[in-house]
Order: sequence, then C-alpha cells, then structure tokens
Amino acid sequence: MNWSLILTSMLPEHLLLVGMLAILGLEIRSGRPRDGFGPAVLFVAAAAAAALWLYASGHAGAPFPGHFSAGPAATLPKAVLLALGVPVLLISRDDFTETPYYTLMLASLYGACLVISSDSFPTLFLGLEIMSLPVYALVLLGLLRAQSAEAALKYLVLGGAATATLLLGISFLYGWSGSMDLAVFAAALAGSDPLAMAGVALVTAALFLKAAVVPFHAWAPDAYEGASAPVTAYMATIIKAGVLLAALRVFGSAPVVPPLVGLLAILPLVSMAWGNLAAIRQTSFRRMIAYSSIAHAGYLFYALLGDGAGRWEAIVFYLLAYGLMNVLAFAALPRGADDERQDRLDALKGLYQRRPFAAIMIALAMLSLAGLPPLPGFAAKFLVFKNVLAAGYTGYAVAGLVASYLGLYFYLRVIQYMFMSEPEPAAARGSPRRYAVAASLLCLVPAVLLMLFPGWLIDRL
Amino acid sequence: MAESTVLNLVLWLPALGMVALLLAPQGSDRAVRGFAFVLMLVQLVLAAWLYQRFDGSVPGLQFETRLPWIRDWGVHYHVGLDGLNVLLVALTAFLGPLVVAGAFSAVQKNVKLFFAMVFFIQFAMLGTFLAQDLFLFYVFWEAMLIPMFLIIGLWGGERRIYATLKFVLYTAFGSILMLAAVIYLVYSESQYTGALSFAFSELGRHPLSFGAQSWMLAAFALSFAIKVPMVPLHTWLPDAHVEAPTAGSVILAGVLLKMGTYGFMKLGFPLFPDATRAFTPALMTLSVVSIVYGACLALVQTDIKKIIAYSSISHLGYVMLGLVSLDLMGIQGAIVQMVSHGLVAGGLFTMVGMIYERCHTRDLAAYGGLAKLLPVYSVFFMILTLASIGLPTTSGFTGEFMALLGAFNAAWPQYQAGNSLPLVLAVTAVAGVVLGALYMLWLAQRMLFGAVKAPHQPLTDLVAREKAILVAFVVAIFALGLFPQGPLEKTELAARDYQQRVLGTRLPEAAP
Repeated sequence: MNWSLILTSMLPEHLLLVGMLAILGLEIRSGRPRDGFGPAVLFVAAAAAAALWLYASGHAGAPFPGHFSAGPAATLPKAVLLALGVPVLLISRDDFTETPYYTLMLASLYGACLVISSDSFPTLFLGLEIMSLPVYALVLLGLLRAQSAEAALKYLVLGGAATATLLLGISFLYGWSGSMDLAVFAAALAGSDPLAMAGVALVTAALFLKAAVVPFHAWAPDAYEGASAPVTAYMATIIKAGVLLAALRVFGSAPVVPPLVGLLAILPLVSMAWGNLAAIRQTSFRRMIAYSSIAHAGYLFYALLGDGAGRWEAIVFYLLAYGLMNVLAFAALPRGADDERQDRLDALKGLYQRRPFAAIMIALAMLSLAGLPPLPGFAAKFLVFKNVLAAGYTGYAVAGLVASYLGLYFYLRVIQYMFMSEPEPAAARGSPRRYAVAASLLCLVPAVLLMLFPGWLIDRL
Repeated sequence: MAESTVLNLVLWLPALGMVALLLAPQGSDRAVRGFAFVLMLVQLVLAAWLYQRFDGSVPGLQFETRLPWIRDWGVHYHVGLDGLNVLLVALTAFLGPLVVAGAFSAVQKNVKLFFAMVFFIQFAMLGTFLAQDLFLFYVFWEAMLIPMFLIIGLWGGERRIYATLKFVLYTAFGSILMLAAVIYLVYSESQYTGALSFAFSELGRHPLSFGAQSWMLAAFALSFAIKVPMVPLHTWLPDAHVEAPTAGSVILAGVLLKMGTYGFMKLGFPLFPDATRAFTPALMTLSVVSIVYGACLALVQTDIKKIIAYSSISHLGYVMLGLVSLDLMGIQGAIVQMVSHGLVAGGLFTMVGMIYERCHTRDLAAYGGLAKLLPVYSVFFMILTLASIGLPTTSGFTGEFMALLGAFNAAWPQYQAGNSLPLVLAVTAVAGVVLGALYMLWLAQRMLFGAVKAPHQPLTDLVAREKAILVAFVVAIFALGLFPQGPLEKTELAARDYQQRVLGTRLPEAAP
C-alpha cells in the first residue's frame, strides 16, 4: 500500500469523508441538534479546491490500480462537480439546518467522486449507489407535501430497478470476459457477441434510467416536483453529471458502432423532443425543469455518438455550463412558506418589478439552457452537435437541432412571465434565500468567464 | 492608439453601456437617458472617424483585429471593416443616438432596462456586421434575438407578447438550420486543410459538390430570407413592427432587416456560387414578388405603421434584386438601397412614433389635414415620403435606380439569348416603383391633407429634440442622394469581389 499516494490522490474524497464525520461527531459530542451547514460548505469547498489543485499540478496516480485512479481526466470533472456543490449547499440553508441533510449531501458527493475515478465495475457500481442512495432520503427529507413521499418511493423503486439492470449488465459482461475492468465494455462494443451486446445494452439502459432518458424518465417529474428546491437543483445538475460521467467512463473512447447507434441516437433524440414538448404544458417550475433536464440528458448522451476526444470535451463542457446555469436559476428563485404555491410558474409573474436581480439571473439561466448565444449553453450545444456532425451523422444532427428548437418556447415563457406579465394578486410572492446573492455569484461569475473565454476550457479538454 | 482599437471601441462601447446600466442602482431616468445618448454619440463620432479613414482603394479588411478565441476549433475573435460592411456599420452607428433620443419621451417604464437592451442590440448588430469569423458571426446573429424579444415584449403595443414570440420563434427556426449548415460547411472545408477554421477568408476556397452547395445555401437562405424578409417568409414582420415600440421599429427596419441581405451578400451567395447561379431565376422571382406583393399589401392597409412595414418588404426586394443581378451597378445599388432604406424607413417609423405619442392611434382613418395642425411635422413627413418613393436627389432614388439598372443590364443579354424571364421580372419590378409612389402619396394625402381631423387636439407641433432628430435623418438622406460618389467609391472594390466570387465556381473539377 502506497499510503502517501492514497492520501494525495484521494484528497477530495478524504476531505468529504472527514467533513461527514466532523458534522456527525460534533452533533454527537454536543448531545443536541447542531447546524451542519457551516462545516458542510467548508469541507465541500475544500474538496473542490483540492481537486482543482490536483488538476492544476497535473497529478496522476492510481492508489488502487485497476479500480481507482486520479489523473487529470478525473480531477477536472471532480473539481467541477464539487464546485457546483458549494452553491447548492448555500441555497439549502433556508430549508435545512439539521445534520442528516448535510451528511447525506456529502455522502452523495463522495459517491460521485468515486464514479469519476472508477476503473472497474465494482468501483463504478459502488460510486453510483453511494451517490444515489442518499438522494432517495434527501427527496423525502423536506417532506414539503404529501406527494413528497410518493415521489421518493417512485424514485427509490425505479432507482432500484436501475441498480438491478446495471448489475445484470455487469454480470453479463463479466460472464463474457471474465474481467471486471471497465475496458471490457469497450471491447464488448467492438465485437458482436450476443452476450456482450446484451451486457452493453443493459448497462446503457441503466444509465438512461438514472439520467432520466425517455422512455425511462417517468420518475423525474414527480421526484423533482416533490423534492425541495435545493435537492431538485442537486438532482438536476450533480446527479445527472455523475451519471453522464459514469457513461463517459464506461464508453471511454470506444467508437459506437451500428446496432448501438440506434439506441444511442434514437432514445436521446426522442428524449430531447419529448422533454422539450412536455415542458411546455407544465405549470410547476420544478416539473418544467424536470422535463428540461430530460431533454438535456438527451443532448448529453448524443455527444457519445462522436469520437473519444470529442465526447469528453463536449460532455464536460456541457455539464459545467448546464450545471452552473441550472443552479443559478434555483439560487435566484424566491422561496415561499407555501412551497406548492411558490413553485407555480404563475408566481414568477412580474418578478422583474419586485426583484430585478433575481429576474435577470433566472432569465440568463433560461437563455443559456435554451442554448441561445452568447450564453455558455450555446457553446455547449454547439460542441455536442459539432461532434455528431463530425462523426458523419448529419441527419441525426439536424434532427437534434430541430428538437432543441422545440425547447425555445418554454424557456422564453419564463422570461415573458417575469418581465412582461403583471403579478397575479393571489400568487405567492416569496422572498430571496439567505445566501441567494452569494450562490448566484458563485454560478454567474464562472458562467460569464465561460461565455467570454470558452476557449480557455475547451483548449484544456 | 492603434487604429483597430477604435473599431473595437465602436463595437464594445454598447456592451459596456449595457453592463453599466444593468449594474447601476435604480437612479433618475434623466441620468439614464443622458448617459445612453452621450455614449451613442461617442460611438457615432468614432464610427464617423473610421468611415472617413476607410480607404476604398485598398482591397480586403481594414482596422482588423484577429485574436484566437477557441484555438481547438480555429475560432478567432476576428473583426474588421471592408467595403461590404463599412456603410452598414456607419448606418448602425448613425441610427444609435437617433433611436435613443427618439425614445426619451416614449419610454417611461423600466427606462434603465430599455436602454440596456438598446445597447445590447446595437452591440449584437455591429458585431454581426464586423465579424469575419463564422462562429463569431453566428453568436452575434443569434444574440440579437434576446434584446429584440424584450424590446417588443416589454414596451410594445397590445398584442406585444404574441408579436414578440412570433418574431423570435420564426427567426430562430431559420437560424437553427443555418447552424447545422455552418458546422457542416466548416467540416467539409477542413477535409482539405486538416484543421478546423471558421474564418471567412478560409471558407469558400475549396471545392464543394453542387448538392452540398444547394443544401447549405438552402439552410443559410432560409435564415437570411426570414430576416430580410422575402415573401412568403414575411408574415412575422407586420406583427413585430406594429407591436414594437418606436425605437424597436426603427432598429428593426433600420438595421435588423439588412442583416438578411448582408448575410446573403457576405456569406450565402459567395460561399455557394454554383448553387446561387442555378437558383438565380427563383431568387429573382421571389425578389420581384416581394417588391410587388409588399407594395400591394401596403396599399390596402389602414394602420400607418403597417403601411411602412409592408413598404419595407417591397424596398428590400430591390436590394435582393440588385444582389442577384450580379451586375456591378446592381450590386452597388443594392448596398446603397440598404443604407437608404435604413434612413428612410427609420425616419418614417420615428415620425409615426411622434404622431402616436400625440394622438395615441395609428389608425389612418383618424387623421386628416395634419398640414394645418402640425405644419412642421407635415413638411418632414412629406420629405420622407418623397424619399421613400425614390424622388431624384434623395437616397431612395440612387439605390432603386441603380438596382433596377443592374437588373436590366443583366437581363438584356439573356433576353437576346432567348431567355425573357429576367427581362419580364425587371419590367415588373419597375411597376413596383409606381405602386410605391401610389401607396406613399396616398398615405401622405390622407394624413396631411383634406378635412382636418385628429384625436386629442390641440396638438403641439414638433419640439426641438424631435426636429433635431428629423433634421439628422433628412440631411443624411439628401447627402446620400446628392453625393453618392463617396460611398460608392468605398464599396466598389468589395462589390467587384462579390461579383467575381459569385460568378466563379467551387465545383470539384471533373475526374483528373
């Protein structure tokens, strides 16, 4: 055992673990409920800084060879995810002070870090489960309304189904190759053995389920609506990112060949179109974001059609742009005592007159999610479709662009409500979250830098 | 100070203005208006200096800046002035202060946001004209939608939400397919060079099959033709124009519509020359249909703003006609007509805004005999009407006449060769001039003469600010009409270059 390597390579993970233990330990020691917010923000920020430092110093090490490695390809996405975790925690303060919430958050982030660094199926599986299991509880924790319990249960059952599918797929692949290495997946992609193909299809389906790609998306709207706003923000950005990075790990740079092209192009394409169309009919903000995230899962998986370097570049850039802007919207969104009324899109009417800062932030987020330039969402979408076209799938690229166009209307409608409509007298007003400005700026400043200098990141990917 | 710095200042001043206004705390509206006006004036002075220094006898770009932006994709922040955009940049900078001054009294709510959005669209429009890199061009092109969405939707008329959504969804559909074509084009070019490049100067050098050219031209053309707009893709325009606040209408008619024709001139036609020549009869027909149909629609409207909106469709038909004639005279006429229409339609929309502020209706039937009530207003309105018709000595004459002459120049050899379609189209386009005179004079007659009637009397005639705005418009219109030589010299080389490129070929050579 190379202890110093374990210490440095896994520094972000260690910090999260220490944070978790510190939050629990402090509470146990004092013998009364304590506020877990401060330590959680501190340790997640420290973990993000550690990941960034590892990336900047060009660190590359494999503390557990064949299972866990931390090269630049892992530390950069880790830094992105953990940095996104900070604003999510900041906006949690209004809804949660109790320690379980923060412990679960840190645990879930720990799982996401494991996924990113995984080299073998057991690590990947562990990571995905550690990442998802706390979220089932997080959805329930707010218990904002009766449906929260239903949403959490649905999420749990479908998450369990995804786990089972993933395990079945892994066991097929193991049976085919006798190895637990992630490289088996790429080898299976290249061949045409039915057993290997079944394994590939099952693993992909499990990832689709966890990322809410049509037709495995039905859990998302309920879970997003039933959870409290910060948890929804967490699910829409960090969980989604974790799953996509898992997909990036298993697909690696293996080219996707014909029988699988259908699966990897058609379902995401349907996801984009259906997510964008169904979002138009929603009256709840979080439900709308759920359908939006279903569409975005489609774009993200589309990127896998491209070659290895292209998909890596596209997915990481996309996750950052998408994550920043999604969290920005939730950070700026006013919070009300009656969650169900506050969550209605009607509550946004006339927001610009009451809270210009919040309205402008949400507008920027919506424009970026819609993929309008110059906001970073455009460069992200451009990257995805550039890769699809470069791989020679012109028809899929055009169809995907048209599907993305369908989403323009409902994003613009949010802006229309905030800027062009009179407030409804009966609608909830709400008030800004305590750390709304800090969390917004944590998202906005990187997003603006990404907008002005997209090349800085793209050239590094 | 390097000369290219001035160009960058012209481009980025509005962006700075927007950020400053958005960040500024709620303050007095007077200060916001003053700030916006002064900044626009500074921009105009700088742009005028650039225009003066622009040397028409030097081919290629001037005041150029080229910095790597996204190295991996070969995307550069590349801006510069050439003969095709120099007049349009000058026009945009010229309209800036006039738009701001025109909105002083008309815009009373959310003043800060309004001027921030005016700056935003000014920035995006200038960027679109100045960009010499396809990625940069697309970013600016698409970014224009955001401020226009808010300008129409926030400060517009009664059906503003409908109009603004229609405008954005209509134009965005065109650009999404253009985006596909942009990526496809860049990749097909990179097969020859091995590296991605979005630079205009790099694109269009390598062979491209006729089929690929046709598809990409169709995708670009859809986007550009919606913006122009060409019949039958014009249906967003009347709604957007009528519901937009005056400033929005002036920006739309003055500059935004030229984006479409500029796009054709700078990208669409020169990049795909073989497809363009194959589709010339269709493009020419659509141009002439736009001229005549737009004029006919203008003739039957009862809303003053709609008349001018439809007249824009007609007038931009001449621009398209000149561009596809591929005759040097016609091309130069098209460029002059773009600027001329910007001035004339901009001026007319400003004047409609002025009467609307006084009488709160745009219904033509509510007006009559304004010459007696508002003599100064009527004089200006008459001058702009005549300029719109294309009376000699005004800019409208120079542009239309040259564009039509170009169409005839191109049509005559073809007629002698046995193809009479171009000649028939050119003759029909002349009929459009007559229709143009008819609807504009009829409008002036019904509004300014006859029995005196107007709502909300007594009316005050133009105040000094309004007079100053209109004097600026009128001076520019006569300057371009009486002394077109200067602008024509600045654009001649670029027009020749455009002509050469569209007449050239990009087809892969027959089997070696």
